[in-house]
Amino acid sequence: MTNQSLQKALSYREALNKAMHDAMAASDKVLLFGQGVNDHKGIFGTTSGLADKFGAQRLIEVPLAEEGMTGICIGAALNGAYPINIHIRADFVLLAMNQIINLAAKYKYMFGGLFDIPMMIRLVIGRSWGQGAQHSQSLQSLFAHIPGLTVIMPASSGAIVDSYAHAVQKHRGTVISFEHRLMYDLTFERDHEPEVLGKTPFSQRRVRAGTDVTIVSTSIMSLEARRAADWLADRGISCDVIDLHCVSHIDHDVIMKSVGRTGRLLVADTSWLPYGVSAEICRIVCQNDPGALKAPVVSLGMAPAPCPTAKALEDIYYPNLTTLTDSIATLVRGKNHGIDLPHERSMADVYKRFKGPF
Amino acid sequence: MLNTNERLKRLIYQTLLIRRVEERVIELYPSDKIQSPVHLSIGQEPVAVGLCESMSPKDVLFTTYRGHAYYIAKGGKLPELMAELYGRKGGVSGGKAGSMHLAAPEVGMMGSSAVVASTIPHGVGAALAAKLQGTKQAVITIFGDGAIEEGVYHESMNFAVLHKLPVLFVCENNALAVHTSLAQRQAFDIVQHAKSYGINTTVIEDGNDLIKVGDIAAKLLESLRAGGGPEWLMVKTYRYKEHVGPGDDFDAGYRSRSDMEKWLATDPLYKYPEIVKEMEADVKTEIDRAVAFAEASPLPTRADLLTDVE
Repeated sequence: MTNQSLQKALSYREALNKAMHDAMAASDKVLLFGQGVNDHKGIFGTTSGLADKFGAQRLIEVPLAEEGMTGICIGAALNGAYPINIHIRADFVLLAMNQIINLAAKYKYMFGGLFDIPMMIRLVIGRSWGQGAQHSQSLQSLFAHIPGLTVIMPASSGAIVDSYAHAVQKHRGTVISFEHRLMYDLTFERDHEPEVLGKTPFSQRRVRAGTDVTIVSTSIMSLEARRAADWLADRGISCDVIDLHCVSHIDHDVIMKSVGRTGRLLVADTSWLPYGVSAEICRIVCQNDPGALKAPVVSLGMAPAPCPTAKALEDIYYPNLTTLTDSIATLVRGKNHGIDLPHERSMADVYKRFKGPF
Repeated sequence: MLNTNERLKRLIYQTLLIRRVEERVIELYPSDKIQSPVHLSIGQEPVAVGLCESMSPKDVLFTTYRGHAYYIAKGGKLPELMAELYGRKGGVSGGKAGSMHLAAPEVGMMGSSAVVASTIPHGVGAALAAKLQGTKQAVITIFGDGAIEEGVYHESMNFAVLHKLPVLFVCENNALAVHTSLAQRQAFDIVQHAKSYGINTTVIEDGNDLIKVGDIAAKLLESLRAGGGPEWLMVKTYRYKEHVGPGDDFDAGYRSRSDMEKWLATDPLYKYPEIVKEMEADVKTEIDRAVAFAEASPLPTRADLLTDVE
């Protein structure tokens, strides 16, 4: 399918604002909850202007009560509302795990289908400028592990607009969306939107087609994978880049067809490697056709430690364009690949001044 | 309006039905036909019956794992309850819920959870939706005295008062959290503490008083519907049986039989033996039918395992 909703280039931030606007316009059942939904900053601008248009009673400033507010959203959903609950950093959602995992994820099944919990939880992953250990976590695998939840990681403006419209207007269950703060100021041209590889806007996406190596990536790592793939394309390596987008519902065929063609797999996730997205992709390949691989899988993600605050440490905590490009080249050509590498130590610096084109 | 005698009889009938259903559960339990942890309401039934008396099916209620009484009092169907306890396909949730997760949305019974205090905010959220959508629904959220120690209770109270939501918080105070007494758990006075949120509080000392519980609930629900903001009610009551399971545990050392005997003095099923006697046959017939339905209902199969996950 193709991206329908995006008519012009939008920044990720503008896309989020549009998605919130469209949701509230589509149904008066949609309510926004969050600390700052109605203040002068409006959740990084993603809820700005909406109170004027739709009324402040639909944008609910919340007490600092993550579990309670999540439960209140569940109760509102059970009584006809569509709540969108926003946390300006994903780390804060850990205070709401009981309501999300014990209640929202189970309400439909536990009651034999008597109820749905139509609701969205927006979580912002922080990075750079000293976010430190508690403002930087990528917790997707915690939620994707739990049956009953749908977990998405939109990596473009089109992915935001289309997925959020689908979540609010079509999907009946709870959706957890991880947004990446570093992408907020990036503008995504409509022509550069990845191809959606399935029937719904939650489906996996092909960022770039290629034949030598499969790169499965999430969130901002899909942008990094594209940059690495562009660099390597000029040097004779062809990368097939798949943006997972929905990490809880992975189409095995999409992964296996690509790996079947390339025989090589690199997973680039925004989080830690053990028990995470990388481990899950390896499980999918090993269970379906381990013989498809011509070389061991390579995984890139955060170093196995809490995130350090100092920039000098943070820059080496995350994989950067140099390590990513080197890892891909090594996987395809071996250690002595002889390919020159882009020299870029800090991804955060790049994205802060980055203006497009995707 | 029913005359007083008719009303009392109706309330006693429901109380008796709940009591006898749970006694049937006790009777059946050794057969292992019911393989679900049961948290019996025996002793606490009048609270549920009184609270639900003036709720309409569109008024919604959230409750706890000790939920058989509320399911029945709110109007849930008895055969589906029994089949649910049996783990049968004909159960209200096809056997996926069991005793601890009863619901009957068609009559406003919106769920029950095995995690203490976790449904309190659901009542508040339902009340928020009701207020914003102008549905004129009243909401009751039920919890025990143990739930008051959980943070989410406070978070829920604050939000409900702040937004003047049509929700009645009801603390069923049996003074026990499993086997631990209130005195061992709480450094504060429950009612004084609730008042500090600026919510109206009401206390019913004798939760066995069906008429009183019914009258006060009716008044508070009417106030909610009229936009008066949230209300808080504590009803003192007593759990006759062990925390979970079919047995008595007065020999366990944490409470004495004489505690229960004080409550038996006002228990409506002992207080009105003549009324109870004339109802027994009808109640038995109703329960026999429910058990027969459960026994005849098929087991869920592999085809049901992965339905309704999301």
